[in-house]
Amino acid sequence: MTGNKTALKLLGLAALLAFPVLPISSEYVMHVAVLIMVYAVLAMGLNVLPGFCNLLDLGYVGFYGIGAYTAGILAYNHNVSFWLIVPGAVALGALCGILRGAPTLRLSGDYFAIVTFGFTELVVLFLTNEIWLTRGPLGLPGIPPIALSLEFLGIDWRYDFLSEVPYYYLGLAMVAAVYVVMCRIEDSRLGRAWLAIKEDPLAAASCGINLMAYKTVAFAFSAGVGALAGCFMAQWSMFLAPDVFKFWESFLVLCMIVLGGLGNINGAIVGAVVLIALGEILRVVLPKFGLPAETRFLVYGLIMILIMRFKPGGFFPAIAATSKKSRLILDLKARLEAERAG
Amino acid sequence: MFEQQLFNGLTLGLIYALIAVGYTMVYGVIELINFAHGEVYMLGAFLCITFIQALGVPLFPAMALAMAFCAGIGVLIDQIAYKPLRKAPRLAALITAIGVSIFLQNIAMIIWGSRPVPFTRSAVPAAFSETAFTLGSVNVSGLQVFIYALTIAMMIGLTLIINKTKVGTAMRALAQNATAAALMGINVNRVISFTFALGSGLGAVAGILVGMYYNTLSATMGYNAGVKAFAAAVLGGIGSVPGAMLGGVVLGVAETLGAGYVSSQYRDGLGYAVMIAVILLRPSGLLGKSVGQKA
Repeated sequence: MTGNKTALKLLGLAALLAFPVLPISSEYVMHVAVLIMVYAVLAMGLNVLPGFCNLLDLGYVGFYGIGAYTAGILAYNHNVSFWLIVPGAVALGALCGILRGAPTLRLSGDYFAIVTFGFTELVVLFLTNEIWLTRGPLGLPGIPPIALSLEFLGIDWRYDFLSEVPYYYLGLAMVAAVYVVMCRIEDSRLGRAWLAIKEDPLAAASCGINLMAYKTVAFAFSAGVGALAGCFMAQWSMFLAPDVFKFWESFLVLCMIVLGGLGNINGAIVGAVVLIALGEILRVVLPKFGLPAETRFLVYGLIMILIMRFKPGGFFPAIAATSKKSRLILDLKARLEAERAG
Repeated sequence: MFEQQLFNGLTLGLIYALIAVGYTMVYGVIELINFAHGEVYMLGAFLCITFIQALGVPLFPAMALAMAFCAGIGVLIDQIAYKPLRKAPRLAALITAIGVSIFLQNIAMIIWGSRPVPFTRSAVPAAFSETAFTLGSVNVSGLQVFIYALTIAMMIGLTLIINKTKVGTAMRALAQNATAAALMGINVNRVISFTFALGSGLGAVAGILVGMYYNTLSATMGYNAGVKAFAAAVLGGIGSVPGAMLGGVVLGVAETLGAGYVSSQYRDGLGYAVMIAVILLRPSGLLGKSVGQKA
């Protein structure tokens, strides 16, 4: 049984690695695949707050924007290498995440939701108005692509990412890295503390969990992952405009994790795959009914309402990682639920 | 110049106050940030011009009709989307509220298009766009007189409803303790519906007034107004109706003065800045009760 599972996983991995050379993968399919990876990273990053800590984040794409513009400006104006930008942008994103969350630390989760609701607006306002830095509504075109280079060692070798295929592999590596880190954290002291806060902040605090410290780490971590996705996206799409980072995008990412199941890392990835694919389909189908392509958000809104009503755990309801196999904890959870309902 | 700005800010602030009371009343009764409230405000404006253009209804009856429709929409939103989730975790209701908001925004986009449309000028009395009188250095337009009269009348009416009527007493009881209120024989669901109807009706009027004031409507107008009105409600103390009124007025004045003297580009960001400042310095707001530490 376990052998079969391992074989299946290896087969899946092989399929993912071989995907670009398969006959079905046109330039368009590859583009969508890379887009899915960007959103998978965003969904996993967003998942930390609503999924692990029970805090509704409505402005997540702000960090995506901060990361993207950091990468865009540094690469475009100063020709800094992608590999150097990433740590800086992630650190900047994390700092902004802490600054955004800090005012609400001592208040209920509702305050956090509304602060994040306004945050995207502020990021878009900044990107639109600080023309000296971001060129404002004109956008930032001509960002150089990611490159591998050994020039800093004095060796004359350089490889520019000019087609979708290298981005596909880099994106796959990024998704895999974030995924592994997420899974490790979920099952660590940090992740268990977050889940405890999610279940019952008062009980968690009584067990000696420093709520403020753990929430701050969550703000920083989640935001840093968003900025990472932004860096990748900036040098992949090579064009940035403030409009890309509006509230709609945050909503889309939230919809992904709601669909997949809040708190489930696998669910976040599935949500990204399903909704990006659905978005591409709707982009073609909607105009046939004479509707603008933006109205696809109608479908996303509906998905969100229906899932919360009929399947609040999403399609892959999360169970705390540590309790996946423990009958004792499952039993405890069931009794807790029964008591709450009663 | 300063007096004129101040006066324009007050006008805007009164409209914000009308939206903010909708947020604060619903929050008081069911502890939910009704993100869809901004969309009800937008629908109010669109329904009003639709009644005027498609059915040829004069302005004032069209306003009343739009208000009634929006009150109904508010009740429907609650019944369909929020009521099944009353006992669910709070996050579920919050996420649903965001879903409803996006859903309504897109419905509006499908019906009325995604481009901004002007308010039907022919339906608006000519006196509204003329200067009614001059007070010192302040020019007061007919529309501003109308906005002042209508919003202040509505707020007095609302205060009377909340403080003097039976249903108002029930609302206040519910805000204090829903279980105890139910035990006293209050029909909780009916009071919640009434709260939604009241708040949505006022929100619709605010949407129509803003549409006339700026002479433009768009399907996305509810987003910004929603954030600002919620900021106003937080500023006044969430759950407090007089607080929301005061918060709206203060925010409107601050925004107009800020746009005039500090930075007009960051006009829409000011509400956010005010909100952060309030949350940091005095989370209970100007007139609210202490929220204490709710981690």
